[in-house]
Formats: sequence, structure tokens, C-alpha cells
Amino acid sequence: MTSSAPTLGESVSIDRGTRIRKFLVGAGPLIALVVLAVFFAIASPTFSTPGNISILLTQLSILMVIGLGLTFVILLGSIDLSVEGVMASSSLVFVLFATNDRNDFQFGLLAVLAGILTGSLFGLINGVLHVKLGIPSFMVTLGMGAVGIGVATVLFGGRAPRLLDEGLRVWGVGSTAGISNLVFIAAAVLAIGFVIQRFTRVGRYGYVIGGDEPIAKLSGINIGKYKILSFVVSGTAAGIAGVMAATQLGVGDSTIGSGLLFTAITAVVLGGTLLVGGRGGVIQTLIGVGIITVLANGLILIGVDPYIQQAVQGVVIVVAVIASGWSLRRRVRVIK
Amino acid sequence: MRISGTGRRALNRRLTMAAALFTAASIALVGCSSASDGGGEGATGAEGEVQLVEGVRSLSNSYHANWVAGGELFGESIGEEVIVLSDEADSQKQLSQIKALAGSGQIYALNVDPNTSADTEAIVRAVTDAGGYVVTQWNKPDDLNPWDIGDHWVAHISFDGRVSGEEVSNALFEAMGGEGGIIAIQGILDNVSSKQRYEGLTNALAGASGIELLDTQTANWSRSEALTVTQTLLAKHGSAIKGIWAANDEMALGAIEALKAAGLDGTIPIVGFDAVPQALDEIKGGKSGYIASVSSDAFWQGGAGLSLAYQAATGQIDVGELSNEERAFYGTQILVTSDNVGDFIEAPSLDALQADFDDPWARSEGGIN
Repeated sequence: MTSSAPTLGESVSIDRGTRIRKFLVGAGPLIALVVLAVFFAIASPTFSTPGNISILLTQLSILMVIGLGLTFVILLGSIDLSVEGVMASSSLVFVLFATNDRNDFQFGLLAVLAGILTGSLFGLINGVLHVKLGIPSFMVTLGMGAVGIGVATVLFGGRAPRLLDEGLRVWGVGSTAGISNLVFIAAAVLAIGFVIQRFTRVGRYGYVIGGDEPIAKLSGINIGKYKILSFVVSGTAAGIAGVMAATQLGVGDSTIGSGLLFTAITAVVLGGTLLVGGRGGVIQTLIGVGIITVLANGLILIGVDPYIQQAVQGVVIVVAVIASGWSLRRRVRVIK
Repeated sequence: MRISGTGRRALNRRLTMAAALFTAASIALVGCSSASDGGGEGATGAEGEVQLVEGVRSLSNSYHANWVAGGELFGESIGEEVIVLSDEADSQKQLSQIKALAGSGQIYALNVDPNTSADTEAIVRAVTDAGGYVVTQWNKPDDLNPWDIGDHWVAHISFDGRVSGEEVSNALFEAMGGEGGIIAIQGILDNVSSKQRYEGLTNALAGASGIELLDTQTANWSRSEALTVTQTLLAKHGSAIKGIWAANDEMALGAIEALKAAGLDGTIPIVGFDAVPQALDEIKGGKSGYIASVSSDAFWQGGAGLSLAYQAATGQIDVGELSNEERAFYGTQILVTSDNVGDFIEAPSLDALQADFDDPWARSEGGIN
């Protein structure tokens, strides 16, 4: 599989045929997204209206930020299951430090920073426990996710504290030029994520480690350090997502991320990042998130019965994965 | 810490011994205490000798905090302390706490909110074995009734979502002037409360010719999912939406945030269920369009339920003579609007609830089956 993963190199020279084939392989998810969008645009008069497109972008934002963080960890072949717990904690830390109806704090932007750093801290703990103690990331992050929910429940104290800082509320409910402010935040996060992935060691070594860890180790890469940093990126992204959700809902809540973890993992994998690591990236995740968002929105617009909506969503996702992986089906790969 | 092989084996053996001794001691204690209180069917205690116990999920949520406050009002009315068991949504913990009550050897009256329907049978059997008296609320399997178990399971109280569903829907239609389209956001689709509440909406719609149900979706009880669903439905139906119905307050609060982001807050009336604190604030504030919710009145649940168990435990009522309608009944739910919202934010006075303590069936809406 490693041999088929020269995503790293612009420096690697490839002939034209390979390049086209590679494009087609990589474009599977994008084609699925376009097919879905065209289908819904024909089936529903509302789907392609500017109003709905703006809503689609809003609905995409928070999932995009979570998926972006997860991409870094999944590229290593690891997993981060703590996302929902981290979002819960960071949303509460953020709201309780900003102007709220529980205490007299009003730290404004510092509260935002506190919320995000809560996420980074969880990521750091995840990474250190995983790398230094050699515990599988699955177990560490599952446990830390429970810790996150626990911390959030204590801070929650029986009723959701409300965010009363109107300046911060505007991030979640306000819009600029008809587009929700959340979209701009997500776009900025995506841009930063892209730069980290393409132009820093954390991003580039991630591919190497995920592709073949023993080789990465033999070539002298400080694997532990870059793994931990990847978990920090994931935690930080979940922290940002928690803050975004809190500005949107106007509360800090221990269930603020519920249901988002597996949706985000699905989005990452749908986009074309391999669960075994080594191949994929944040732009692919954007496409995966797009597929999921378009699907949820479109099924409501064309009036699919809510009792079968979830089943239809599942079927479409499975079909999309089969279609986008069709050309790879005979390739010798490790599928776990 | 490093322990050698033999050391570890010895340690293990010691631990096993200690555990065995502890278990034996606990069994002996429980055995003695249930033997000492007579245990026979219908054994009751004198007034002043019955322990009052409330079993709730957590004191950190306002619903159960109010429940306990209601129980304490009842305790105050007879001059007794109330013991509170809080299980933090852990069914095993709940059951072991209830089993431990037998330890004191005193007859007890327990008013409990079982975590799930599946827990109810184990709880009532444990109470029966210990010779206590229990009233359960909300959760029980459909085919299991107090008279199947015996006199120590005094009664089960629940609430009919069909009735409240219809009431709150009518309040919504009235606020809309009896005309226009609504969207409905349901909870988890196979959940009993969600189904009953939606049935109430359907019944109300049958009697309201001017109201059209534009769309019905699920948001799985979740605030953020409700926000997303409402956004999409706003795009789909636009200004045709004149009212929003949600199967609980969390989802109604999510819908409000979607309206806020679209600049429509305050223009579209919204209703929910459960009377959670933030919903009460919104109803009281009167600006967001949140017009009504439904309360089962936790103060009443905590007080009247405990009173019923206590009256059985002291022999004031003979459980064997109660009808099935008295032993499994629906309590009254109250529509919360801006007119009466204050009653649900602050605890009522003892005087206000005394009549309900004297007659725990005063708010019965009839038998469950």
C-alpha cells in the first residue's frame, strides 16, 4: 500500500498516464458528491436556492472542523474517540469564562482561548498516554472522552449555562453577506489545517508514519513527538468545534457534540482517508463532510419519510464508498 | 510496584478471602435485617417509625431536585426526615442502594423513579423482600403491574403524553390564530413518550381545520439536531411556517436558535414539553416566541408519591383493597404558559400541596391500562 501512496511528493516525478489515473482514483468521492448534489437539485426546487446553499455551508462548518482534526489522527492509522467529550468540556469551559448566567466572569476572547486550549489539553493527554504508555489510541481516547463528559457534567451542574456575550453569540448566529459567520471560521480552520498538513513536519511525517511506521522509525523520525502533536491538532479542532457549537446554540452543554463523532469519522473515511492511515487529507475530508451534509439536507427537502431516512442515508453512504473505491478493489491492500 | 510471583499469589489469595468474608458478612446482615422486621405480607409500621426515602437519578438536574423538594415538604408535614438516594443514572447503583435500605431493619416508604423499565421489577421485588413499601413513577414494563407482585408495590404513576400533546398543540394553534402551517420535530421515533406526544398532536390537528402539518422530522431529542433540522425546514417551507411543535424542550430550544440565526425569533410561536428551566425562562421572558411547555409537576411527584407509599406503610390505606385504577394511574400534567410559569420556577408552599398529600389520587387521570 505504501507504494501506492506518493501523496507526499511534488518532487516525485510521475508520467501523465499515472497522473490521470491517480486523479480519477482520488476523484471518486468528489464525483459522488457532485452526483448527489445534481440529483437533489433536480428533485427539489429548494436545494439549489442561495438560501439553502447558505444553510448547507452552515451545517457543514462544525462537522468540517471536527473532521479536520480527526483526519490528522486517522492518517497515522490511529483514532480519536474523545471528540464528543472534548466538545462538551470545551463548550462549558468557554461559556463559563465568557459572560454567562452562572457566574460573573466576562473574559470575552480569553474565554474562547480557554475553550480551545481545553481541547488542546485533552489532545495532549491523549497523545502522551497513547505514545508514552503504549496504550492503543482506541482505548485512551475512549476513556478520555468519558473523562470529558464527566468534567462537563460537573461544570454543567444540572442546567445549561447560557452564553450572554452578544459579541460572541454573533459568531454562531450572525452572518456576513448572507453567509453564516461559522462558515468563515470553518474556512479559516481549514486553511490553517491545510497549511499544517502540506507544509509542516507534523503533517508530512503523519503520512510517513501512517504509511509504514517501522520504516519511519528507522529513518530517524521522532515518531512519538509527531504522533502526540497530531493528537493535539485533533483535540484543538474538537475544542474549536465545541466553542463554535456553543456560540450557535447559546449554551454550554454536556451533550453538545452528541452524535457527531461517528458522523465525523464517516465523513473522513468517505472523503478517502484510509482508516489504516497513510493516505488522505483535509481536503478529502471536506468532500466527505460535504457528502454527509448534502445527504441529510437533501433527504429532508425531497420529503423522505423520517422513519426510513436513516436507512436511506446508510445505503447511500455504503454505495458511495463502493463506487469511490471501485478502481482500487483489486489492489493488494490491507483492509482491517 | 513490583511483586514477585509468590507474593502476588499470596496477595491474590488474601484479596479473595477478604472479598469472600465481606460478601458473607453483607449477606448475613441483609438476612438478619429482613428476618427481624417480620417480613410477612402486610406488616406495617407505626407512624414515626417509617423511614421516608426518595430514589432519584441525580440532584444536579432541576427536575429531580424539585422532586426531592416536594418529598421534603411531605416530610415536613409529618415531621420526619427524608433520605435521598441518588444513583447518577446507574441502574446497578440504584438497586444496591435500595437493597441497602433493608440494613436498618426499619420499615420504609420509597418513592422512586426507576432508571429504565427493565429496572422496575428488580426494585419492587427487592422492596417486597425487605418488607418496605414502594411507589414507582414513569418507567415500568407494560405487562407488569403492582397487583402482579403484591401489596408492597403500592402503585405506579405515569403521565399520558396523548393528553398533554393535545393540550399543548391547542395552545400553539390558538397562538397562531387557528390558521397556518406548522412543522413538527419528534424525539427518538420508537420512544413511547415521543409517540404519545405526537399522537396528541395528530388528535389536535383533527379538530383544527385551519392548521396544516407541513412537515414532520425527528431530531432525536437533541438540541443541536433540532437546530439543523429547523434550518433545513425553514429553507424548504419558508414563510409558510407559522408555528413549531417540538416533542421536548431541548429540541424547541434548538429550533429557537435556528430562528434566531434566520432573524425570525419572536415571530413564530413554539411549544415543547418537560418544562426545563431554560424553557421556563423563555416562556417567562416572552420575547423568543416560546409560548408553552408541559409539566408533570415534579414537586407533586416527589410529595404525593411519597405520601402514598407512607400511607401504605403505616396501614392508613389497605393496599389489598385498592382498585387496579388506583394502583397504576396517570397523573395530571399541567400546561405551562406565561400565566402560570412562576409556579414551576419556585417551590410551592406546604399549604398548596397538603390536599395532594392527604389524597394522593387527587390528580389521577384514570388507570393506565
